[in-house]
Amino acid sequence: MFDFMSRILGGKSRLGEPRSKSLAKERLKLALACDRVELSPQVFEGLRLDLARAVSKYVEIDEAGMKVRFDSSDRRLSLVASVPVVGTRRTGQARRSKSRR
Amino acid sequence: MEGRVIVVTSGKGGVGKTTVVANIGCGLASRGKKVALVDADIGLRNLDVVLGLENRIVYDIVHVIEGKCRLRQALIRDKRVQTLFLMPAAQSRDKEAVQPDQMKQLTASLAREFDYVVIDCPAGIERGFKNAVAGADEAVIVTMPEVSAVRDADRIVGLLEAQGLGDPRLVINRLRPEMVKRGDMLDIDDVLDLLAIDLLGVVPDDESVITSTNRGEPVVLDGASRAGEAFRRIAARIDGEDVPFMSLEAQSMWSKFKRFIGVGR
Repeated sequence: MFDFMSRILGGKSRLGEPRSKSLAKERLKLALACDRVELSPQVFEGLRLDLARAVSKYVEIDEAGMKVRFDSSDRRLSLVASVPVVGTRRTGQARRSKSRR
Repeated sequence: MEGRVIVVTSGKGGVGKTTVVANIGCGLASRGKKVALVDADIGLRNLDVVLGLENRIVYDIVHVIEGKCRLRQALIRDKRVQTLFLMPAAQSRDKEAVQPDQMKQLTASLAREFDYVVIDCPAGIERGFKNAVAGADEAVIVTMPEVSAVRDADRIVGLLEAQGLGDPRLVINRLRPEMVKRGDMLDIDDVLDLLAIDLLGVVPDDESVITSTNRGEPVVLDGASRAGEAFRRIAARIDGEDVPFMSLEAQSMWSKFKRFIGVGR
């Protein structure tokens, strides 16, 4: 049923492959976001790493599962980060006691 | 009253900018407005052949700017529509022959005599683009439902904003409804979603555009053509009339509605 619906909505072809226009749109979304911020991939990676470092000062995170992207819907740019937290105990207090050991 | 100066631009070449300019101009003039079309593509003159006026050129835009002739001497009256005039580009010069300030002056003096001054901007984002947008009050962006054209259109939105032209309106040219229907072409909503600017109109891909251009007659004058109808509506919208979108666009209103009530994407 869901497959039928998504076919009706034009998302997938009969064989379950995405239609070419969905690919076009996804690719354009990314390209436009990069164009709009004028950030090179290297600088972007730097931003991602700094962000990970900053957040992990306070909570334990799964850095591999972290997603950072620019969203530019309605021409207003925002930085959207999704950071999986694996532990919340790692407070400033806990860290200090950890480093003492 | 001062006329409106509108620049038509796209970034990418080959999306139909010149055709759009010719048809918007001819459409507005057919509504009784006094219209001057300015070909700002210096070195690659084209608007004259699209309008079928290539045999009447004596003076061009560079002659006017260099003071070698008066403004009126360079303006060519259209064969069919009495209130339509063309200021041709120079063919044997390049874009460096004109400065943005000079373009500003030229369009300002045209705006004193015409209801609409429509500028055909060259492809690219360099000098020619800067010249063409210098004197404009508003902008129309032409794109096609295709990745490179949409990407370039987005760059243009940003560049126009930097030039103080904040609210450009979009013409989606050469849409193929049958490809959209089977999910193999970006649809109107996709393009609007990506670019986030207002829609001025959608022109279906139509052979009559080519055949009428072959004859040097803007398709907007062809009462039987779908593309012609699309251009008539675009001209009316520019002229301030609230015209409904054509049926291929009505589909998009429906999907907008679906999205509004939360069942569409």
